[in-house]
Amino acid sequence: MMNQELTNKDEILSGVQSYDPARDSINVENSTASVSQTNASKINTSKTNASKTNASKTNASKTNTSKTNTSKTKTRSNHWEIRTEEQDYAFLPDQPIKDKNRYGKPIDLIDITDITDNKKPDRSLFINGNPEIGSNPDRNKQHGFFFTADNCIGCHACESACSEKNDNPAHLSFRSVGYVEGGSYPDYKRMNISMACNHCDDPVCLKGCPTRAYTKHAEYGAVLQDPETCFGCGYCTWVCPYNAPQLDPVKGQVSKCNMCVDRLEVGLKPACVSACVGNALDFGVIENTPENREQCKTSIPGFPDPEITQPNIRFQQTKTLPIEMTRTDSMPVKYHKDAKGNYKPIIDQKQGKAKHWNFSKLNSRENPLVLFTLFAQAALGLFFITFLGALFGLESLTSFANSDMFLPFIITSLGMTTFALLMSVTHLGKPMRFYRGFNNLRYSPMAREGFGLALFSAGCGLTALFSMPGNQWLVEFLSSNLALNLVTLTEGLPLAALVTGAGVFTVIGGAGGLFYMNKCYQIKARPFWHHIQTATSFVGNSLALGAFVGGVLVISTLIYSQTSAELITQATLVFTGVFIIGMIIEALGLIKHNNDLNRSENEGGAAHYIQCTTFGKTYLFRNWLLAVNIIFAITLLGLNLAGFNDTSLLFVWLVLALINCFTSAIGRALFYILVIPTTMPGAFFWKNKAFEQHARDIGLADNPATGVAPLAH
Amino acid sequence: MLFGRKNKKPIVIPSKKVAEWKYTTCNYCSTGCSIEIGLNEDKKIVTTRGHAGADVNRGKLCIKGLLEHELFDSPGRGSEPLIRSKHYDPFEKTYWDNALDTTAQKIKAIQKKYGKDSFAIVSTGQLMTEEFYTLGKLTRGCIGTNNYDGNTTLCMASAVSGYKRSFGSDGPPGCYDDFEHTHCFMAFGSNLPEQHPIIYWRLKEALEKRKFPLIVVDPRVTMLAQFADIHLPITPGTDCVLINAMMHVIINENLQDQAYIDAHTQGFDEVRQIVKDYDPKSAQHICGIDEDTIRTVARIYAKAPAAMSIWTMGINQSTHGSDGVVNINNLNLITGNIGKPGGTSLSITGQCNAMGTREWSSCSGLPGYRYLENEADRKEIADYWGIDPEFFPKKRGLAETDIFPAIETGEIKGLWIVATNPMTSMANTARIRKALEKLDFLVVQDVYEDVETNQYSHVYFPASVWAEKEGCHTNTERRVNLIANVLPPYANSKPDLWIFNQLAKRFENGNIIKFPEKAEDVFNEMKFLSKGKERNLDISGMTYQKIIDAKGIQWPYREGDEGPDGKNLKGQARLYTDGKFPTKNGRANLLPVRFYNNNEQPCKEYPFWLNSGRVVEHFHTRTRTGKIGNCNKFSPTAYMEMNPDAAKALGVEHMTYVRLTSRRGDAVVLVQLTHRVPRNMVFVPFHYHDCVNRLTLGLLDPHSRQPAFKQCSVRIELVDQDEAARLNVERRTF
Repeated sequence: MMNQELTNKDEILSGVQSYDPARDSINVENSTASVSQTNASKINTSKTNASKTNASKTNASKTNTSKTNTSKTKTRSNHWEIRTEEQDYAFLPDQPIKDKNRYGKPIDLIDITDITDNKKPDRSLFINGNPEIGSNPDRNKQHGFFFTADNCIGCHACESACSEKNDNPAHLSFRSVGYVEGGSYPDYKRMNISMACNHCDDPVCLKGCPTRAYTKHAEYGAVLQDPETCFGCGYCTWVCPYNAPQLDPVKGQVSKCNMCVDRLEVGLKPACVSACVGNALDFGVIENTPENREQCKTSIPGFPDPEITQPNIRFQQTKTLPIEMTRTDSMPVKYHKDAKGNYKPIIDQKQGKAKHWNFSKLNSRENPLVLFTLFAQAALGLFFITFLGALFGLESLTSFANSDMFLPFIITSLGMTTFALLMSVTHLGKPMRFYRGFNNLRYSPMAREGFGLALFSAGCGLTALFSMPGNQWLVEFLSSNLALNLVTLTEGLPLAALVTGAGVFTVIGGAGGLFYMNKCYQIKARPFWHHIQTATSFVGNSLALGAFVGGVLVISTLIYSQTSAELITQATLVFTGVFIIGMIIEALGLIKHNNDLNRSENEGGAAHYIQCTTFGKTYLFRNWLLAVNIIFAITLLGLNLAGFNDTSLLFVWLVLALINCFTSAIGRALFYILVIPTTMPGAFFWKNKAFEQHARDIGLADNPATGVAPLAH
Repeated sequence: MLFGRKNKKPIVIPSKKVAEWKYTTCNYCSTGCSIEIGLNEDKKIVTTRGHAGADVNRGKLCIKGLLEHELFDSPGRGSEPLIRSKHYDPFEKTYWDNALDTTAQKIKAIQKKYGKDSFAIVSTGQLMTEEFYTLGKLTRGCIGTNNYDGNTTLCMASAVSGYKRSFGSDGPPGCYDDFEHTHCFMAFGSNLPEQHPIIYWRLKEALEKRKFPLIVVDPRVTMLAQFADIHLPITPGTDCVLINAMMHVIINENLQDQAYIDAHTQGFDEVRQIVKDYDPKSAQHICGIDEDTIRTVARIYAKAPAAMSIWTMGINQSTHGSDGVVNINNLNLITGNIGKPGGTSLSITGQCNAMGTREWSSCSGLPGYRYLENEADRKEIADYWGIDPEFFPKKRGLAETDIFPAIETGEIKGLWIVATNPMTSMANTARIRKALEKLDFLVVQDVYEDVETNQYSHVYFPASVWAEKEGCHTNTERRVNLIANVLPPYANSKPDLWIFNQLAKRFENGNIIKFPEKAEDVFNEMKFLSKGKERNLDISGMTYQKIIDAKGIQWPYREGDEGPDGKNLKGQARLYTDGKFPTKNGRANLLPVRFYNNNEQPCKEYPFWLNSGRVVEHFHTRTRTGKIGNCNKFSPTAYMEMNPDAAKALGVEHMTYVRLTSRRGDAVVLVQLTHRVPRNMVFVPFHYHDCVNRLTLGLLDPHSRQPAFKQCSVRIELVDQDEAARLNVERRTF
């Protein structure tokens, strides 16, 4: 496999290893194939004579001449062998093409392609290293699927044609058919929905992917993903509203629909479309309505809001459906018709209304992410509070900064961040590819988050390095044990300024990391996260957990070094104050989250419904614990302010802080478990989370023919 | 590239590197799709694709066909012959010679001790026609038992019986092209989108060109019912009442085609007389379809310039199966809708070669639709084979569904099962299990050694599958199509033809009768036997090459039909176009059908109708489809459809297990709540082992001996979920 990025054209040409010249000969000797082409072109010309009187006339006729020329003078390119006596349904139609799509984006992508030096239409896609240029005259137009929802019979032909062509194992599928149903017997309607990748105008997967595994090509507007670049973080599967990218838990990497660009290059529709036996699935240049179809709309019940990504799929759905359409899978979402006739998601109370604990379910495969975020946030908070406090001249903290404990404090920050990053790496499908995480700083919040945290770590390291010569214990230890005098070694260096500079750098890096950590979760396809509560929780936890670790380090140091009680009190007030502020920020976010999601009918509301039922008792328990903690902490702070500064109170603070660690952990675990994405409806077995879980629990998944991959970890 | 990308990523798309395409026909259902199998340079099978030039499927394939090449090395295939003396002993591997010798000796010993008919043979609809013909030759000509039948008794026997009663012979008179010409399409208990997706596609193509009314009779809201212009959610088992009521309306309003009736049928008066008793006003209370709708449908059907009916298991699998078919034929005969474009009675067959076994296997008589009861037929075949006509019985023996009761009573002591799985497919599994346990000797010949019936066998013959052999299939529209031999048999498995030939050598007559080794030589024997002007089943004009060139030829295709230039490769699209039927006087029989209700009905103790059927990704008790992950994953474990309102009343929840009980047994299934089924019915897919057939009663149709799988009653009980889950896993291990 070619797993390194090919950097220029020459390299690509030299990387022809997987191109198979035998395919050429098949095509050449296939005389019947060229017969059918002449047939097809005959049809094309006859159609073109009849049409083309609209505004895009010049454009279209240009294409036509080129098409006729291509098919007359040149045979089809060698990317795919056309079947003998191939039928019309398999060929892409020749229709007039609009200039712009309904969102105002040009359909011809050649003008907006970023390769400034090569805007020629004839560039090879190098599919499997094959340098031949595709013979499809419309290859630089944005293409898309057309789905006649009225017609889909749910026969799985599209899915199996896709899996067969792409050699996908049973537990993966680039295209899936699910359904929504409604009405009561015998006035019952099931609407099947076949969905793959929509090769969006705004490919959130491409933008989200930290490794730059995704490319949107000017050719067909295809959004292609390279599994050999992917490191299996699964972030694209979070941001995609249609569940198009498929994370393979066995291989630990993502793969997805490739639009069958090999078939498109020779003028054939994708394999799924060609296989459709319900006459439901079609394909062509976007905004073109296929023959025999009258609608070209962007939404059907069960399909997420097209505004999120401007997907390149169009629908026909003319049959009246029941007012309410339900899902057979376990998602607590159904769809209700509004006054305008559009179907909007609403909560389906599949779990009833009873509240449960389900404490054990908090332990999930997202545990590494729970630890990653909490530890990273705590480390950031710890550094921010302590360093900035000292920087702004808080006497207790400057005194700490000047103590020998300053170096261990920085190393603690560094250690916690390193542990956090390690956790995030273990979550990857391919952990050894972690270094690719910064490849997409241009777009990916995840890349920027990682980059910010890496800067923070580097800053911590520098700060630690520069503060070494000022650390008496270390200087003495090194000189007596290794005969190394740090002080003379660093003579002449502006150490204090370097420590400050490195610290400021660390703060900036860390702040960026925290900012993009929040941005990572502001995903439109995941409304449970797409809320200010994510930010308040991250900042709140950062402050409260940071204050806890910082408080323990600083106050114990101050006590140990027998600093004045005044300074200890000041430090106590600083850390407990920040601790309380952190908890209050988190609590306010939770209140707003609850208020907003209680009114929300979408997947966010549905996730909140699960929060209030399946995890209802746990959720309440956490909230009460947080509230009681805040009340106790404020009371205690009042006592401190009133002059009660007995050191025994510090133990009470310690208990409160530990309780907060516990509530934060519950909160973060809930955060990951509960999120409900705006995925497509599943079927009873296939793409039904509850069945997948059940099959794993009882052992059905051990048979690979069940189509449920046992989880890798 | 967009979004600021300058560096190309490699685009890698799996490439199958096909070096050669080989022509075959699909080995699953009876649609008869042409498939090309792709081989790479190492002669390894890498893919399948529909043949775009074949008239049947025009390049399309369903999920099963698209993935069919994966079955060759799927788990559970039989690699060596196995043998044991008792069914509870472990199997031992053996040589073919030993397995065949033992089998022949046992058959002879049993026949010597208990009589010729004490050894029975149950065959299938899955083999090649040449193999069916050879098995028939072996059974009728060498072994000499009269208890020989195919599993087609479970699926198409009612259609065969109905066709014979109405028209004097089997053979669907219509074809898929009729969709292009019909003006009214009526489907009885047939769910094309799920059971025959490619036939559905042909229908859909016709509908997109020209809209005509689609009427669907089905108690369940199937995909086809949902697309119907008029859906008749009928009470199970009462189709005859509906059709009688329709004919009542037609005759009352004088909408019948009297000229056709007078010219080509007999028995109209009897039918007219009987349907007087089926006024829509009273019929509606039995069949559950209101009188207005009955009248509307009857009028649309009768007034259409051409109207056609199709049916599948909804009609066949009932105690009125044969009568149902006869009544559909009655409806089409009195409206003049037989043998004309768009007007026909078209049974949509089940198995890939159910037609081949009907035509050539001798199960219900002698090859080529000949009858044991007919002395001339006996003599003709005996002479051709070179044996004494007295060797043949003078009457047909037991049907498959009567063979098992005969094992119970001890009349049958030995059994040979070829490519069928009664442990899963027959009604009342407990009874079948008991019968198999009782046998002195059981041979199972199957592609898979994990086929459930093999639990009770003494000898197991590993058979080759599909393109590991060569031969023909006949599809629903009488199209004979070819499967080319593409790859060698798996391990030490052997083509069924080879197995039959080898066994024949071990019988006295087997050395008198010729048993050609090559499939086409067998085909030539069949061609010879099919000749005859009066014979519709005439394949004498066909050769393997012609079949490949035409991608299937419909019979009759007689010698000389290729024309002077030899270019006509089209057989006859429709039968009875001249209104002449293969009855004694050439007229079709109009047969009065009286409804009686002998079904087990929902009652207080067992309040739900149990309905069963297939889902698109299943076939033939899942021996093949269950092994192919991309097929099986869409319904990997047993479930039932249940009405949510009924579930609410019982406290049953979606995606939980329940136990179904009937007067025969129990089954554990997952619940899928849906309004597809009425409040008093559950639907269970029937290809899961140890599932629906533990419950079914399977009362037999008096004419066809086909079981009524779809009409019995069950109760729903709540179960411990963990116990049920464990049981479910155990029952899905193959």
